[in-house]
Amino acid sequence: MSLDNPVQIFLPLAIYTMIVFVFIWVENRRIKDRLRVKEGEMTRRMYEVSILKELGERIGYSLNVQKIVDVITGSLRQLISYSTVSYLLLSDEGRVIFHCVMEESVNHRFIEEIKNRLVTALSALINREIKTESVDESISGTITDESNRGRIKSFFNIPIVINNQPVGILNVASTKEGLYKEEEMTILYTIMAQASSAVSKLENILTQEKGKLNSMVASMADGVFMVDTRNRLLVINPAAKDMLGISKPQPSIFDVLDAVASKLDLRTKIEESIKNDRLTVEEQLPMNNLVLRVLISPVKDNENKALGAVVLFHDITKEKAIEKMREDFTSMMVHELRSPLTGIRSIANLLREEKIKNEQAKYQEFVDLIVTNSASMLDLVNDLLDVAKLEAGKFQVMKKSTDLTNVIKLRVTSFQSLAAESNLEIESNIQPDLPVMNLDENKIGQVINNLLSNAIKFTPKGKIVVSGFIAKNGQDLAGKVAEFGLIWPGLKPDVRLDEDAAIVAVTDTGIGIPESQIGKLFNKFTQLEQTAASEKKGTGLGLVISKGIVEAHGGKITVVSEEGKGTTFYFSLPLENPNIEYRNPKQIQKTEIQ
Amino acid sequence: MATKILVVEDEEILLTALTEELKQSGFEVVGAKDGVEGVEKAASEKPELILLDLVMPRLDGIGALKEIKAKPETKDIPVVILTNLSDYDKISDALSLGAMDYLVKANYRLEDLVNKIKTVIERKQSGSQAPQPPVV
Repeated sequence: MSLDNPVQIFLPLAIYTMIVFVFIWVENRRIKDRLRVKEGEMTRRMYEVSILKELGERIGYSLNVQKIVDVITGSLRQLISYSTVSYLLLSDEGRVIFHCVMEESVNHRFIEEIKNRLVTALSALINREIKTESVDESISGTITDESNRGRIKSFFNIPIVINNQPVGILNVASTKEGLYKEEEMTILYTIMAQASSAVSKLENILTQEKGKLNSMVASMADGVFMVDTRNRLLVINPAAKDMLGISKPQPSIFDVLDAVASKLDLRTKIEESIKNDRLTVEEQLPMNNLVLRVLISPVKDNENKALGAVVLFHDITKEKAIEKMREDFTSMMVHELRSPLTGIRSIANLLREEKIKNEQAKYQEFVDLIVTNSASMLDLVNDLLDVAKLEAGKFQVMKKSTDLTNVIKLRVTSFQSLAAESNLEIESNIQPDLPVMNLDENKIGQVINNLLSNAIKFTPKGKIVVSGFIAKNGQDLAGKVAEFGLIWPGLKPDVRLDEDAAIVAVTDTGIGIPESQIGKLFNKFTQLEQTAASEKKGTGLGLVISKGIVEAHGGKITVVSEEGKGTTFYFSLPLENPNIEYRNPKQIQKTEIQ
Repeated sequence: MATKILVVEDEEILLTALTEELKQSGFEVVGAKDGVEGVEKAASEKPELILLDLVMPRLDGIGALKEIKAKPETKDIPVVILTNLSDYDKISDALSLGAMDYLVKANYRLEDLVNKIKTVIERKQSGSQAPQPPVV
């Protein structure tokens, strides 16, 4: 083969070059096409981004889905070509909204057709039939043109989903055929998805915030409800329902107004409060067993526009009860002082008469009556004074080193004869380790006096046991009681002291105290009332004062009781320094003797 | 024969004083120291008038008044309530239950009491109504 022939050399070269050129050209075209596609994609992406940005700016933090959809439909023409863009949306108020934006004039049948398709599609989506006649319809954009005979040739739907709930459908339709491919749908779908996700997030945050507010309102002890300016009940908390005796889970404003109707024209009060823009207070609303204070306060928005009113029910039953107790206490006190005083005056008047001076027995009876009655009045006045001092914090105890055993024994001895009159026996059960400690001998004596005289009064038969022992911090009192062979009816196990203390107790086999009454024993108001209606004489303030005395020593007075079996009043006197072995008077004596 | 009065009063000194004073004013007096005894004696003693205290042990004045008014043999006996100024609610209750009048114990004067007793007995005989309670 000769290589001298130039044709033989050139031809393959030319063919090769051609091939290369063709290849480069094709490749170039391919790259350009790809670039064009990329460019298109980029434009779309840019467009999506700009729309989303615009959406963001125009929507702000709106939760109004319709407003958001309006923004989207208003900007869509720059992205997709269409004749109409429409949506069907469930509104917050339960209405169904259809709106159609006409880019090109179409006839009304075109729009009607879209509406019907959307109604069918949304009904299927939410699994509930939407009636065409219940749809609020509106049209914007250009005007309809009945001469345009164009029918729907291409269209697509995008669901509007908020928080995984379908709330509407967006529709793009055209009179031209074959207009919408996956690309167009993707664009709108992306935009829609981004917008719904933003709304969903915002709604979630709002729901959370609202939840906090709701649970706060729900957990309030005060009853609260809110009405709008059209007197519709917006919210009512469980406390309000309880107070007003409303059992319906979803009450209306009428249930609320009816509940108070016989006592209060709440509707007028609310309207007045909103109208005058003033807090209205209804001082006392008796409701079932409660006394309520009602506060009606108008609510306004940022622009000072009336939104409605919040009505708050505050339970003042306790305050009222205390007020009444105070009044009762005063009148009982007056009664307790006045009755004997009236008697004393009358008797003294009778004593002035000559005739009575000749009747020796009667004369003596009258004088005795004056003596005993003035003495009991003096007791009452003294007790009242003590109580007043206790309350004013001016009650003083003069502590000095005292043998507690002696104090108890002295009191027991002085009560033996009174007990014997009632056929009762007083037993002592005092442990030898009861210490010498710092206390006010007279005042502690007064406490024991009081407990003993109560025990005698309320024990028809049986005996009274006075006990004294030491209990250490954390020891079970029931165990101690059993250890010393004592029986305290009503004492539950696992009552523990929180410090080392001397315990003094008076136990009787009397009538006992019902559990409901125990709390009233140390209350001056209830005590005096009980006394007046009781045949047992005494001021009834003894326990109130005893509690004050024991507390002034840093101790506590407690009562355990079982009806029909008996009662134990015990008080603790804390041992000042638990690390020191207390001087036991008997041991000291023994040592000295040894 | 002297007019018989039943005095129901738990305050011993007041009962003694009222008894003595009324005796000196020419009445025959029977005493009872609580509501239960008062109801019993109203039936057994058949007094022409009952002076009834309100705050008493066992059975209070209102309870006693109800029982007295419920029994045919005692329901027509006029009752005058003995009271303290602070018992306005109870006075109203008592008057509505059929008590004829009331007397404030704290500052009664014997003449007033005697006059009141006489008036009530006269009024009862003429069959007129009880007065209204005072306005507080």
